[in-house]
Amino acid sequence: MIWKTAWKNVWRNKVRSLVVIVSVTIGIFGGVFAVAVMNGAIVQRVDAALNDEIAHIHINDPAFRDNYDIQLSIPNPEQVLSAIRETPGVNAVTARTQITGMANTATKSAGVQILGIDPDSEKEVFRLYETTLPETGNFFESESRHMLAYMGHELAKELNIIRFRIDQEVIDSLSGKAVPRELLDKLLPFEGKRFKSEKAFKKEIKGVLTLKEQHEYGGVIWEEAWSFRARSKMTLTFLDKDQVQTGAVFRIAGIYDIKNSMYEMSQVLVKNEDLMTLTGMAADEYHQMIIRLDDLESTVEVSASLAEKLPQLEVMHWKEIQPDLAMMTDMVQKFYAIFMVVILAALAFGIVNTMLMVVLERTKELGMLTAIGMNKKRVFHMIMLESVFLSLVGGVVGMIISQALIGVTAKNGINFASYAEGLEAMGYTAHIYPVISTSFFITVTVLIIITGILSSIYPALKALKLDPADALRTE
Amino acid sequence: MKVLEIKNVHKIYNSSEVKVHAVNDISLDFEKGEFAAIVGPSGSGKTTLLNMIGGLDKPTEGEILVDNTNLAGLKSSGLIDFRMRNIGFVFQSYNLIPVLTAKENVEFIMNLQKWSKKDRDERTFELLKAVGLEDRINSRPSKLSGGQQQRVAVARALASKPKFVLADEPTANLDSKSTETLLDIMEELNREEGITFIFSTHDARVVKKARRVITVEDGKVISDEHKK
Repeated sequence: MIWKTAWKNVWRNKVRSLVVIVSVTIGIFGGVFAVAVMNGAIVQRVDAALNDEIAHIHINDPAFRDNYDIQLSIPNPEQVLSAIRETPGVNAVTARTQITGMANTATKSAGVQILGIDPDSEKEVFRLYETTLPETGNFFESESRHMLAYMGHELAKELNIIRFRIDQEVIDSLSGKAVPRELLDKLLPFEGKRFKSEKAFKKEIKGVLTLKEQHEYGGVIWEEAWSFRARSKMTLTFLDKDQVQTGAVFRIAGIYDIKNSMYEMSQVLVKNEDLMTLTGMAADEYHQMIIRLDDLESTVEVSASLAEKLPQLEVMHWKEIQPDLAMMTDMVQKFYAIFMVVILAALAFGIVNTMLMVVLERTKELGMLTAIGMNKKRVFHMIMLESVFLSLVGGVVGMIISQALIGVTAKNGINFASYAEGLEAMGYTAHIYPVISTSFFITVTVLIIITGILSSIYPALKALKLDPADALRTE
Repeated sequence: MKVLEIKNVHKIYNSSEVKVHAVNDISLDFEKGEFAAIVGPSGSGKTTLLNMIGGLDKPTEGEILVDNTNLAGLKSSGLIDFRMRNIGFVFQSYNLIPVLTAKENVEFIMNLQKWSKKDRDERTFELLKAVGLEDRINSRPSKLSGGQQQRVAVARALASKPKFVLADEPTANLDSKSTETLLDIMEELNREEGITFIFSTHDARVVKKARRVITVEDGKVISDEHKK
């Protein structure tokens, strides 16, 4: 009966209750959706890091990571590979060589990490090959008499391997993507022009666009205007095993785009056999074994097991290799909870105020209830339930709306194109797919109930202090 | 059989400047089944006396015994529980819970006492029928007239079969016809259920119906008349 009475009391003053409910709804919706966007960005970042950049576990000589010395290869690599493959929880392993060097084209050069890989086993560990930009190559799958290199989008732009141009094909493509005619007209004077660099291209195009047009359509213009010249080449130079400078011309076997500028600028993949030939390393000489696990949750356990099996080598799991990622994944749930607590704390003041008004308005009725035998515990319980119902109705509506919007935006994502450069510089994609876990909804529900209870304490204590005889005399 | 004994009860209100002797040495006994009215002019102390009998206020001096239990000896929580089980209240302005129906208002105390649903339903229907509102059980107070609301309040007061019912000016807000109906109903319930009714009133119609009339003036009982 107390639950029923409390529920009916919530709707006694509909306008006032709706004001509170709407404010809670907006607060929860805003909080949950903001968390979903942040979480989506982080989940995508972690996913990209694990699938494209570092995988789950690295094994190398204990001193290798200090300065990537070419001499510090893994002894008895076949035995190490066997030991890794036999370890429960290991899904796939690939062996890499890694040296530092320079990438050069006719006009530009850049310092890079050159990774010697085995394309077949690399595909079992990484999904980097899936990010290959269309018509730039096919990740070492074509036969070629040239040595092949697979490079990042940013490096390709930096070395002018990717160029920018405006032509009829670009105009048609932009038109198909709903870019307004008047904007396309502004691009027509550039038709047929090829730009020296991305910087030069953006500078000229921005010169004719308004800020609003840049914000809304800049991203899609940059995406459509680049072109890749087939059979492009670059020279990679580095020191061989005897510390003698060497190098070779590599044809581009594809350009990957993982929306992480730093990684794209610095990592060039070539075939192990080519790198071994050029550096004078033995055919089975590797610097790193990189492992993909069946289950991410078993990372620490499998890592410990491998460290025990291979005591002479350094075994590091992804949380040790990129502690920033580990911190994000470990702390992020706590941060979200704190974020929601701050929102709910602000809403709690509104609920307290409303419940104080409720107690003040119902002084006589509360006096009557105490007079006829409703004890303090039950009065407290009733007021607390009213407060919880108020918060919970708003909270549930807020969560339903946010879930609906998350559902809609999770399909197509939200494009923060105007912040793309900044986001990609930090390794985050600008196209974010909001996502939230069920456990977060449970946490929020619990927090809302706690807010309702805490908000009711002061008004309920006020009600308990009422003297029934005095309360009954009030008008 | 005595259901209520009031022994040398005083109630003194001390404010900073004045000392008000609202009830001054009143002693009264009430037998089971009485239909009594406490009358007197405004400020005579009748509501204060009624509040003390109902355990809503404590006497400054003296004892109030309900079935030999001294109300002054009960702690706050015990007193609330005692009221719930032994005393029914009817207030001047009805004081029904506006969000509940007539039925829900009547069964509220039975719910607090954890009666079974079957017993609650039976008792509620029995009482609402007795007060002539069996066809309005699902009406909220706002849909009932003042007289009907007060009849629901009487049904609520009787719901848990209390030892006695205290009614503070129950007819003050009612017209003649509603007053007549209400008094007839209360008298009939008094006879049928054997529950003692004590009114505070200055309504002549109530005084006329009462079988005992206690007149209070300046906090003292000046007459206690038992009618035949």
